[in-house]
Amino acid sequence: MRNMSVDLCGVKLKNPLIAASGTFGFGREYDELYDISAWGAIAVKGLTDEPRAGNPPRRIAETSSGILNSVGLQNPGVDAFIRDELPRLASRGATVIANVAGSTAESCAEAARKLSDSPVAMIELNISCPNVKQGGAQFGACPEDAARVTAAVRSVCSRPLMVKLSPNVTDIASIAQAVQDAGADAVSLINTVTGMAIEARTRRPALANITGGLSGPAIKPIALRMVWQTAGGVRVPVVGMGGITTGTDAAEFMIAGATAVMVGTANITDVMAGPRILRELEDFLDENGIEDAGELTGSLILD
Amino acid sequence: MARDCEARLVSRERLTEDAADLRFELAQAAGLTPKPGQFAHMEAPGVFLRRPVSIAGFDPAENTARFIVRAAGKGTRSIAALDPGETIKILMPLGNPFPTVSPGGDIWLVGGGLGVAPLMYLARVLSETARGLKSFLGFGDRKSVFGAAEMGGLSEMTLDVGGLVTDRVSEALISKRPDAVFSCGPKPMMGTLKKICAARGVPLYVSLEEHMGCGVGACLVCACAVRAPGGTAGYKRVCRDGPVFDAREVALP
Repeated sequence: MRNMSVDLCGVKLKNPLIAASGTFGFGREYDELYDISAWGAIAVKGLTDEPRAGNPPRRIAETSSGILNSVGLQNPGVDAFIRDELPRLASRGATVIANVAGSTAESCAEAARKLSDSPVAMIELNISCPNVKQGGAQFGACPEDAARVTAAVRSVCSRPLMVKLSPNVTDIASIAQAVQDAGADAVSLINTVTGMAIEARTRRPALANITGGLSGPAIKPIALRMVWQTAGGVRVPVVGMGGITTGTDAAEFMIAGATAVMVGTANITDVMAGPRILRELEDFLDENGIEDAGELTGSLILD
Repeated sequence: MARDCEARLVSRERLTEDAADLRFELAQAAGLTPKPGQFAHMEAPGVFLRRPVSIAGFDPAENTARFIVRAAGKGTRSIAALDPGETIKILMPLGNPFPTVSPGGDIWLVGGGLGVAPLMYLARVLSETARGLKSFLGFGDRKSVFGAAEMGGLSEMTLDVGGLVTDRVSEALISKRPDAVFSCGPKPMMGTLKKICAARGVPLYVSLEEHMGCGVGACLVCACAVRAPGGTAGYKRVCRDGPVFDAREVALP
């Protein structure tokens, strides 16, 4: 019997598939469709210390193999999450990763501090949201800022800390090294790639926010390259994401160096993506005589 | 509860130059009970995202669902061009239906353009119980009219072509006050209707549309602006909190 479980900086995941933050809400909706504890973990919608209304619509635009979004961190705030959502997620047996964002290092730290007293397994610090004016990707754009906000959160966070990185940088591996040195236990990448869509007939941007974050199969080659480069440059585990739609996609990210992978946009195009991709990854392992999913991690062969 | 069904197109009838009446047989439909106002999230061959389409009818005996699709963009064009026998995935039913009304109630339906589609299902269900079922249908021009014969058979229908259907509702409201008005159509039409109904103290429920992602309420992209009576502004999800809203709750032009 193959082993699907992996160890992510001390957190044992029953399999390497994690629902990515942003397309899974707090699991409430998918819970009605299938057993959400089947995921290795669930990274919940980005949380800020105070509630946020998010950006005005229109918030989504379609591309030929992906989507642009500009939700703008709409969320009920970390207190409401802990009170109204977390108990239900925990009762379902889900391993919960709390995704945290904020406009200042202090507000990120305050949210992380509150979550450190709650039953979340891990905190994912989002320094890479492209759709908010302050904080977000600003933090993730240079190694110094990324290290500063990571250190601020690290000092109050008693849970394993993962930092989610932006692809909209010159050298993602140097950012990964900076957050590792500031105390991150893992890095996750990539967040969405900043993009834009224009309606030619009206000569107006498709999104109310003008720019948005591109996700889906369109960005998979970029994500694979960045996971491979980052995994080669850090000691901490890497969680890979960017356009994973099939079990084979998941395997590719692990081969590039990822310990676990996240599935985001695929949940939008196929509500049953989670259980399907898990089944496909299991089939891939069986068909290739692999007994331990973790064996894939960093197994890229360069002849 | 929604289910992602394998759906085989069993019939396609052309209604207008660009609108088609599609009936799909659903392989996993047993136990599904879609209600008028709910929608389906349909795969559209050749495009990345699914397309939300209102349910225009459902036959539990045949396991068939009916949709009226207007070829407006790439996605709806590819759905409207499906040939009988072809299959796609359809996730349904989704969202909140029009509210249930007490039997014998006096209900008016107001539809504009493609917004008439969900009202056809609603009219069929309401015609079994409602006494004074009236419908007001508005179309921009003669060639885009559809569903008039069917709606005329299910309700006392007023058809307006090229004018403002809301003017016809205004006129009718002078002498009569229905228990509720249910509407689907262009936002400006529903905005005018909101003012008219508010002035007469008639409850109005509107079905909204927005660019959608997941369709189930998780991704938060199909936001519509709402204002609570206290004054706090925010966004609700058209797919999950709607698509049918109490008109007082949502911002309309």
